[in-house]
Amino acid sequence: MTDLVLPDLVLHDDVLDENCYRVRLFLSLLGHRARTVAVNVVPGGAQDSPAFRAISPAGILPVLRIAGVDVCGAGAALLVLAHESGGHGSGTWLPRDPAGFAEVAHWLAFAGGPLTAAVRARRVFLFGEPGDRDGLRRQGAAALRIMEDHLALRWLDGRPWFAGDGPTVADVALFPSFALCRDWEVGHEAFPALRRWMRRMRARPGFVTMPGIPDPGLF
Amino acid sequence: MAERMRPAHARAPAGETADGAGHGAGHGNGWYPLMLSMDLEEGTVAGCTVLGRDLVVWRDAGGQAHVWDDRCPHRGMRFSLGIVRAGMLACLYHGWRFGPDGRCAHIPAHPELSPPPTLRADPLTAAERDGLVWVALGDAPAHGPATGVSAPCVPVRSLAVDAPAQEVARAIGLPAGSRAGGLDRDIDGLVLAAVLPVDRARSMLHLLVIRPAGVGTDRDRRRRVAVWGQDLRDRLEGAWAAA
Ligand code: FES
Repeated sequence: MTDLVLPDLVLHDDVLDENCYRVRLFLSLLGHRARTVAVNVVPGGAQDSPAFRAISPAGILPVLRIAGVDVCGAGAALLVLAHESGGHGSGTWLPRDPAGFAEVAHWLAFAGGPLTAAVRARRVFLFGEPGDRDGLRRQGAAALRIMEDHLALRWLDGRPWFAGDGPTVADVALFPSFALCRDWEVGHEAFPALRRWMRRMRARPGFVTMPGIPDPGLF
Repeated sequence: MAERMRPAHARAPAGETADGAGHGAGHGNGWYPLMLSMDLEEGTVAGCTVLGRDLVVWRDAGGQAHVWDDRCPHRGMRFSLGIVRAGMLACLYHGWRFGPDGRCAHIPAHPELSPPPTLRADPLTAAERDGLVWVALGDAPAHGPATGVSAPCVPVRSLAVDAPAQEVARAIGLPAGSRAGGLDRDIDGLVLAAVLPVDRARSMLHLLVIRPAGVGTDRDRRRRVAVWGQDLRDRLEGAWAAA
């Protein structure tokens, strides 16, 4: 993969944050390098500091500075990067045909909608954020099951990715919640189709892990 | 809702236990269908739970499937997070490697050391038959797993069901005490269904289509079976949650 030169890419990042990982993963899959600025969320609470709120008014992480604009939130940052990648020979990350684009839009909305229960469950379990443990865990598992059912059928059609004919930004948006679900005590055993997909994701050039996702490269 | 069963077969259905259905749940002897063979790719590792007992399932580079308890003898960490390296299961935590016979053969922190033979995992009796990976629990089995199916099986999917295995088995029409068998589903033809009791309240349902010699397995047929399984799961969970 060619290293795209996107000058002045800056990522305001928290290493343990699932949404930040979404963007780190995509940057790496695209072969981009961003300058990272660490935001001390746990225990620092820096997302609520006036300095960070000046960049991200709602205190949302991550923030990707691209083309002079501060883009707040993983969904928006992924979309901007996917769009940016389109003209450089790796356009499959954001299909341009109407059906492929529509499928990607559907799953991006899912990642930013029902699947946020998984993100919140993880925060409650790992960082002790207030929240309904059992309820979030149940909702998160239900979202994963919707993904499992979708991929089980897609696999029978010979289309092993979430949308279109190859990996897209939708896969990147969905991947972290499954890869990290053991953090909130949901195992991978009940999701064989997602496990197949996870192995495919892991085999992509540029794939990176984060704490909580085993890294076989270590030994 | 029960599906029609095929006529009786000469071989005993898989998982048929001496004491019949439901007895001694938690210590049942016999063969248990863990997962679809296709979901255990070469050189990969998976976790699996049977009757509340956590297992690791891994496939070596030669294609052989192995089933052990999911507990590393070193510090008790989960094997199922590990990886396959040099034909051995490597624990993720400190990288100790265990060969197919269960013996520890390599300790990265002490590469010069040859570990004592007592340092080992205990392999369970595993088998692959009809597109499924099986494990035998309890007494040593007198024969291998048998589903009563005598044609090649093509995998469709596995589904997690939040209902007890005996409820799932009853709903699809398996005889009492049996964990797998062929179902005759009219337009979809013969389907092999296998049920794994995960614990008292959860199970896995594995579905495959049976391909009679010379007949192709079309996509629509497998799709219909997959959707049927999904509907069955949703109905069962609804009924079980309401009970
Ligand atoms: S716990 Fe497995 S190698 Fe240490």
